[in-house]
Amino acid sequence: MGTFTRVTIDFDTSHLLFPTIVSGVLALLGLAILIRDRRRIAGSAAYWRGVLARMDKMRFLGTLGLTLVYFSLMVPIGDFWPNTGLGFLICSVPFVFATGSLLSHDRDLKSLLPIAAISLTGPTFVWWLFTYPLFLTLP
Amino acid sequence: MFELVTPLFLSLIVGGTLVGIIFGAIPGMTATMAVAICLPITYSLGLENGLALLLGLYVGGISGGLVPAILLGIPGTPSSITTTFDGYPMSKKGEGEKALRIGICASLVGGLISLLILFLFAPTLADFAIKFSYVEKFLIIFFALTVMAALSSDMLIGIFSGILGIFVSLIGTYDISKGGNGELRLVPEGTEYWLEGGFSLLPVLIGLFGLAAILEQAEIGMPKGHGIKDIKVGKKSTFSIGIFKGQLINLLRSSGIGTFVGILPGVGGSAASILAYSNAKTFSRNPERFGEGEPAGIMASEAGNNGLTGGALVPLLSLGIPGDSTTALLIGAFTLQGIQVGPLFIGNNPDTWNAMIFAMLVANLAMFAMMYVAIRYFALVVTIPKHILFPVILMMCVIGAYTINYGIMFDVWTLLIFGLFGWLATKLRLEVAPFIIGFILGPSAEVYFVKSLESFGDVTIFFTKSWIAVVLWVLIAASIAGSIILSKKHGEATDT
Repeated sequence: MGTFTRVTIDFDTSHLLFPTIVSGVLALLGLAILIRDRRRIAGSAAYWRGVLARMDKMRFLGTLGLTLVYFSLMVPIGDFWPNTGLGFLICSVPFVFATGSLLSHDRDLKSLLPIAAISLTGPTFVWWLFTYPLFLTLP
Repeated sequence: MFELVTPLFLSLIVGGTLVGIIFGAIPGMTATMAVAICLPITYSLGLENGLALLLGLYVGGISGGLVPAILLGIPGTPSSITTTFDGYPMSKKGEGEKALRIGICASLVGGLISLLILFLFAPTLADFAIKFSYVEKFLIIFFALTVMAALSSDMLIGIFSGILGIFVSLIGTYDISKGGNGELRLVPEGTEYWLEGGFSLLPVLIGLFGLAAILEQAEIGMPKGHGIKDIKVGKKSTFSIGIFKGQLINLLRSSGIGTFVGILPGVGGSAASILAYSNAKTFSRNPERFGEGEPAGIMASEAGNNGLTGGALVPLLSLGIPGDSTTALLIGAFTLQGIQVGPLFIGNNPDTWNAMIFAMLVANLAMFAMMYVAIRYFALVVTIPKHILFPVILMMCVIGAYTINYGIMFDVWTLLIFGLFGWLATKLRLEVAPFIIGFILGPSAEVYFVKSLESFGDVTIFFTKSWIAVVLWVLIAASIAGSIILSKKHGEATDT
């Protein structure tokens, strides 16, 4: 038992010890879940079809798409005016308006006006707050 | 300590509580989300002022959930689910305002009792934990993970989620400052530049609790908000403090249950209120009235979920283990200021500790004063359209993620990755709370585990180091056995 339980850790490879154990435990647990829930997993195609069928694709994928565009454009636009946070401001105004309009159920003028007001005032206030009083870096 | 109590400190507590109540009162938005998006503001505030804001948000966020629970029958936060059982029937009978005031008073009692327990218990536990070596510290984390998994709705999935969190936390370099060798691991080729330091905690948290919640709402088509005409506060029956007569035991028991559940890592407020409610019903002389508009049900639920607030801070401040998702976010505030929470925290930072206790006290009193006086106005909060709020919240999430490491765009992409993961996790029935706690504790677990073996060179040290290690193993075994028994009982009940 004495020699069987003894371990020597090589410092050069010590970064791999814990991740290897955790990976092993994760694989074992994954296997146990696979065995236990095999029927549910076998029927997962139908489950995902149901998820997709129930999903409001326009709002979900639209929000995701707008977020991707928002994140992608912020830095390239900000690079035109470095260290001013204007990339954030210029991208946030249309993003807040577009996402607000997308998530809203009504898109008449009466509903769009408050969204437009918030999309102008919200990002501008936040940009001012973080750039001047709080001195934080924005893209 | 009193030099810390400045007008700014007090304003931040009150302001945080107000914003927290608003977040809690809007269904689909939670205290965790409020704390997540306000974290970047704390960068410039300093630790005590930052914590004042965050603790106000926490207390307000948990309390605000009772407003839609009572007026609309929709829990504003998961922790107010049982408030709907009796609050909404009272509201339908025209006793909405009375139900709200009962809930507010019970929330105050729950919050204050849990604060008292935090004040008395956390320093004692921390003093005891100072004696822990790497072995006991590793076992404490192991115990926390088993308790969390045992109390998950599915133990196997719960422990898988926790271990997955640890796995993700290990991505990057084995930190030299913690005794590691500085080598990379689990980093796919070509991503070394971004993943050298692994995923930052805050973008992960903001993604899981901010973006994921917005995606979930978008997926179900952003349910239409409620109009002013839906809000019936009612004036049929006026509130009197006499309604609490004979309810002292219920209030104390529910607050105690909430605090205890808060101390258990990774167990949310919904478990606290459900447990408190079911106990109140069991011990009531009139259990048949529960669910029909029984004030004792609201008292139990609200005292239970507010009891969680102080309880969840006990393991955080004494052991460095967060009690729930929101306190996990508070770790972010400490990290931003370069302070590590753990057994030494209270002893080394007595001013911060006292400021936190004071902030919690003021937050509870502010919550009570604001909600009690202006409950009719808070009732209108539930009508704020989410389609206007969510884009602004997403914008705030970006700021939080971007500024954490002083302007790294990869952190913003991390927010998106974990936002999507959070949405996907609910579909795959993974548990987010164990994942987060595993993610937070993973790096410490590694250091404690590897250093224990390096120091002693024998795996039996985890069993033989001290009597504390033995007690911890007994507790680990008990939590696993308890979970198996509970799941078997649950299975039998489902079968019959």
